[in-house]
Amino acid sequence: MSFLDVSGAEKSFGSAMVLGGVDLGVAQGEFVSLLGPSGCGKTTLLRIVAGLLAVDRGTVTLDGEDITARPPHKRDVGVVFQNYALFPHLTVAENVAFGLKAKRRGAAETREAVKRFLDLVHLADFADRSVRALSGGQQQRVAVARALAVRPKLLLLDEPFSALDRKLRETMQIELRRLLRELGTTSVFVTHDQDEALTMSDRIAVMNRGAIEQLDRPEAIYRRPATAFALGFVGLSSRLSGRVIGTEGGLATVETAFGRLVAPGSFVAGAPVLLAVRPERIKVDPPGGYAFTARLRDAVFQGSKVQLHFETTEPDQLMVETTDLPDGVPAPGSEMKLGWAVADTLLYPAP
Amino acid sequence: MKGWRDPVALLAIPAIAYLLLLYALPLLWLLMKSFIGPGGLTLKPYIDFFADPFNWRVVWNTLVVALWVTLVCLIVGYPAAFALARAGVALQIAMLVAIILPLSVGVVVKAFAWQIVLRRDGVVSQFLVAVGVWDEPQRLLFTQAGLVLGAANIFLPFMILPIYSVVKLIDPRLTEAGATLGATPLYRFLRIVLPLTLPGVVSGIAFVFSMAVSMYVIPSLLIGDRFQTLSTLTGRSFLFMRNEQLGSTTAVVLLVLAVSVVVGSSWLARRLGARA
Repeated sequence: MSFLDVSGAEKSFGSAMVLGGVDLGVAQGEFVSLLGPSGCGKTTLLRIVAGLLAVDRGTVTLDGEDITARPPHKRDVGVVFQNYALFPHLTVAENVAFGLKAKRRGAAETREAVKRFLDLVHLADFADRSVRALSGGQQQRVAVARALAVRPKLLLLDEPFSALDRKLRETMQIELRRLLRELGTTSVFVTHDQDEALTMSDRIAVMNRGAIEQLDRPEAIYRRPATAFALGFVGLSSRLSGRVIGTEGGLATVETAFGRLVAPGSFVAGAPVLLAVRPERIKVDPPGGYAFTARLRDAVFQGSKVQLHFETTEPDQLMVETTDLPDGVPAPGSEMKLGWAVADTLLYPAP
Repeated sequence: MKGWRDPVALLAIPAIAYLLLLYALPLLWLLMKSFIGPGGLTLKPYIDFFADPFNWRVVWNTLVVALWVTLVCLIVGYPAAFALARAGVALQIAMLVAIILPLSVGVVVKAFAWQIVLRRDGVVSQFLVAVGVWDEPQRLLFTQAGLVLGAANIFLPFMILPIYSVVKLIDPRLTEAGATLGATPLYRFLRIVLPLTLPGVVSGIAFVFSMAVSMYVIPSLLIGDRFQTLSTLTGRSFLFMRNEQLGSTTAVVLLVLAVSVVVGSSWLARRLGARA
């Protein structure tokens, strides 16, 4: 059994099913992200783990103890809220000390812990300020220090960076990840931002419509998305709809708008499928015969790479990212030869 | 000094003129009567007033009733304000109407209604007999308990509304955050909710106390002349005894008492709030 183990968690609000039997295991010291669009149930799952919401069915165990029915203050689960939920009537240091005082720790121990955690988030100089006088990034750090000061068994983070501007967000992501790794805190992180999830996580749980579609390492999620939803939600992709002609030796031949293409997978002949390739895996003028021609619609220069969009019929999408264009950025309308390795091709039942 | 040059401040002139000429000056003139004797300025009316044990009794009555009314309003109103703030839209509107609409019914009408309720054969008495608290019907009308009950009902909205307006602004996530930090429900209430609602509580107390300490019609109808408060005494002095000096003396005593309790309670609340 994992350190945190959610099994068969179901939750409905009225007639709307928000979680439909979710299983999630998180190992000790691990950082797992719940990634999904709004309304996918990720925040509901987080609130259930924190004890702020009761499950209709299913169990939550933490560190070998069943905590399904335990009230939040007896769970040892810390939360960093999206809006931080700092106590406005208390100073920075009093906010951080709140949990320690509530747990009746000694005065000396409390003082030391407050100092230590304010140092860790670089806010030692702000100890006696009112939290209302802080910037968004500083407030976020107070919220992290406050949640960590009681040394919870598990830390839950509910989109803690969503209110910060991009540059600050990237710095804070790295800082927080380093801090949690140093402390060895097991964490579950809720986000709808794929870059954030890819950067920070040991593993990512891609959620859609109240279910986890894939739980895996970031690299595996990106390279081998388990479902068409995971493919579309994480990263960019070229997507061609097609129909299977036949399967032989684990390779399916698919009829698409760009001719017959081969992909690893087994489908019955005639099945409608979605064939996909990550844009940086597509080669322009590839060596070897596996290639077809497409007409360039648009070229977007992005500095280190160029994004090429090709003409397709809806809902197909053909996009190439390349760093290697010896003749410079081609003009729209040019015919280009494209190809990719069969192993890089992804195949899903048509959604 | 910028404020003085700002022409927008001129917009307050009609209100200031109205209050100053028609309210503040006559009031001041009336209150000054208590300091003016045959030989000029004097404190004799006050010395006489406090020399009479009957007047001490009146001050005591006034304070005790006002404090009881405030306390009952606070105990009933504080949880009610939470129910109101956290209710759904439809229920909230219904509750707000139920709280605000009775304010449009005159105090006299309400006091008469309470006379009926508090009679020996009134509903309160019948109920207490029915559930076995009382052995036989008793009259609550013309008792202090009846007065407190009736007055608390009439002033309750002035306790609920200021607390409600503060509770509404408290982010429910704050108590959730407290819970995830290991704080018990009681600790959360004492360290998060109470300090944050204190400003509302202080204004509620200030409203209700200042109205209860100076109420005139309600005690006249619910307890009668045998029980004198500073405001009924003030009224009697002017209306029946034609003793303007006694009337203005009691009015000043009442004013000083009310202001000091209101100021004192807000000072105390700030102290408590700063410590929490």
